[in-house]
Amino acid sequence: MLGPVKRDTGSSAVLGPADEADLIARCRADDRGAHDEFYHRFRRQIAGNLYRVLGDRTDLDDLVQEVFVIAFRGLERFRQDARLSTWIYRICVNVALGRIRTRKRRPPPIGVNDLDSAAADPSLVERPETPERSLERHQDQARVYRALETLAPKKRMVLYLHEIEGLDLKEIAYLVDSNPVTVRTRLFYARREFYRAIAQDGES
Amino acid sequence: MSRHVAPHRWADAFAGRLAEAERAQMDLHAASCKACADARARVGRASDSYGSIRTQAAPELPWDSVRARVHWSVSKEKRAQSQPPRRRIPHLAWAALAATAAGALALVTNGDLPRATEAPIAELPHPVTAPPEPAPVVAQPAALAGLVVRSAGATSDGEVMIDGVRPADLFARRLGAGTVLATGDGRVDVQFGDASAFALGPHSTLELRRFDAQLIELVVDGTIDLEVAPRLPGQRFVVIAGEHTVEVRGTRFRVRREAVATTIECRHGLVAVRDRSSQIEVGTARRVQLSAGTAITADLVVPMSVAELASLTETDPVRVPMWSVDALVSGSAPLEISTVGRRDVRVDGIELGLAPLRVRVMPGRHTVEAADPAGRFRRAGWVDVAAPTEGATPARLVVPAEPPRTAGIAERRRQLRAGIDQSRLARCTRSIAKAGMTDTYVQVELAVDASGAVSFLNVIDTDLPSATASCVRDVLADVRFGAGAAATWREKLDL
Repeated sequence: MLGPVKRDTGSSAVLGPADEADLIARCRADDRGAHDEFYHRFRRQIAGNLYRVLGDRTDLDDLVQEVFVIAFRGLERFRQDARLSTWIYRICVNVALGRIRTRKRRPPPIGVNDLDSAAADPSLVERPETPERSLERHQDQARVYRALETLAPKKRMVLYLHEIEGLDLKEIAYLVDSNPVTVRTRLFYARREFYRAIAQDGES
Repeated sequence: MSRHVAPHRWADAFAGRLAEAERAQMDLHAASCKACADARARVGRASDSYGSIRTQAAPELPWDSVRARVHWSVSKEKRAQSQPPRRRIPHLAWAALAATAAGALALVTNGDLPRATEAPIAELPHPVTAPPEPAPVVAQPAALAGLVVRSAGATSDGEVMIDGVRPADLFARRLGAGTVLATGDGRVDVQFGDASAFALGPHSTLELRRFDAQLIELVVDGTIDLEVAPRLPGQRFVVIAGEHTVEVRGTRFRVRREAVATTIECRHGLVAVRDRSSQIEVGTARRVQLSAGTAITADLVVPMSVAELASLTETDPVRVPMWSVDALVSGSAPLEISTVGRRDVRVDGIELGLAPLRVRVMPGRHTVEAADPAGRFRRAGWVDVAAPTEGATPARLVVPAEPPRTAGIAERRRQLRAGIDQSRLARCTRSIAKAGMTDTYVQVELAVDASGAVSFLNVIDTDLPSATASCVRDVLADVRFGAGAAATWREKLDL
């Protein structure tokens, strides 16, 4: 069984395996209360995952909705070979991939990167930080997402999961439904393209 | 070091994945190479920002709204799995029908519209605070009449029986007090006022025990959806479902009487439910399920979910505008729409649900559309409906079956594979192959019509660079297809 991914999931509370199994069983039995509990427990994790992967909050509520619908639809088939939070993260990755592909076909009319607005991250507002440092951090993050935009969707995803989230190849392979060798190959090319874009950003 | 440092090597260095000696060599090179020093600085700043990206909190979203939409989507799918989908008739479409009917009525009656014969059904509803007093006795209350406006089911007449027989002139019958309606697998919609109608669900029976301006008393066994205009003082509307009586003030609600329980669901307005000893009120978006023999108590009333409300919306009874029994009997006629299998249909832009069905329309030409498997409405044809005459058969339109969309895929796929110019394709991928990038793929979606022309060709997924993907697309676009079955499909090509 694949354990939970290493990063903070943002769940309101971590579920033990027994509680998790109970929640899944009740959701499968169409218990409305269980559906509500599932929603409240995972909504911030899902929103956070999507937000960080995509780097903007355009239509984020639609995407969160999509993840939940897929999750509720797929709970019947969930074999519990991974933690529930990991399985949900996998759905997030797939939904985000779909979103990235759509966005590449139809670029948004306005700038997509609004990550790290103060309102979106209350935890950072509480931390003392000079305006200059805040601006710098914002610019660095924007540079990272600009470079990510230059990658093909699948490369972008493995690069994000490896470099930013710090996941290993096996975890990434589960999340993107691939095998570790393919992920390694994809990551190899993705890193070269990504860091080349980072190095060239602002040169002109 | 004679060569520049690849930028990703700086990332490896910052992550501690390089040996000290190699790191020192890279730093030495950067000391004398401005380009590499700049690259190191940029990669370093990017690597430093990963932590802040990783700790980004989720933005606040309209959580309640998202939750409602999730429940809506999930329950809608479950409903669709358990029963054939029905479509709500949109308000704008009603407006269109109103305009059409008004024009047609004006033509039929030379602009002199007869007035409704029954008592007006209007005014504000009363709050129900106690069991209502019996209505004052009126010497001769005006009798009401209802008309069938739609029947649907496995057959277009909805297998409706009136007083125990299946009438040939279902749409010409005036339904009054004493009439007993029964349905088979289908349903029937009956209108009895400008804003009052009911739809009797499948396998249900309804007796119009009293049907006049003073009191409407319906006895139901099965499911009935009602939309009732607000009652005037002294007017009563009662639905009797076994031992329970549902008293209406002006509302949209459903009563479902089954062997074990009676359920009352109220979409808007207010209904009072009572048995011999007690009474409760069921307000907007509330439902109550009463088991046989169980006392009625207020705590049985529970809020309805979004899915349940949507279900009520979808079963709204059909109404025609400009309600007038005489004008409609003499100036409207049924239109029968038959389909192969059950398909959603629209008449003059108004969605009427699953055909086969019959619907009351005004004389004239009507456009009929039918939904394809993807839910898109396509024009099925038009039909001229004549004014009703004695013994005339109803106007009828048979919607032809949708041609199977997948019939030609196998052949088209073979033609595509055979028609690809492999040498051109190899030229497209030569440069990336040289760079060591192999095992790539491209997935396309394409449509070919019966003449062999490509209607569209889209690259929907690939791990190729955009220039290479564009080159591959051009190669695929030049494949020549012969005449044959039209097909739309997705093809994944491993390169």
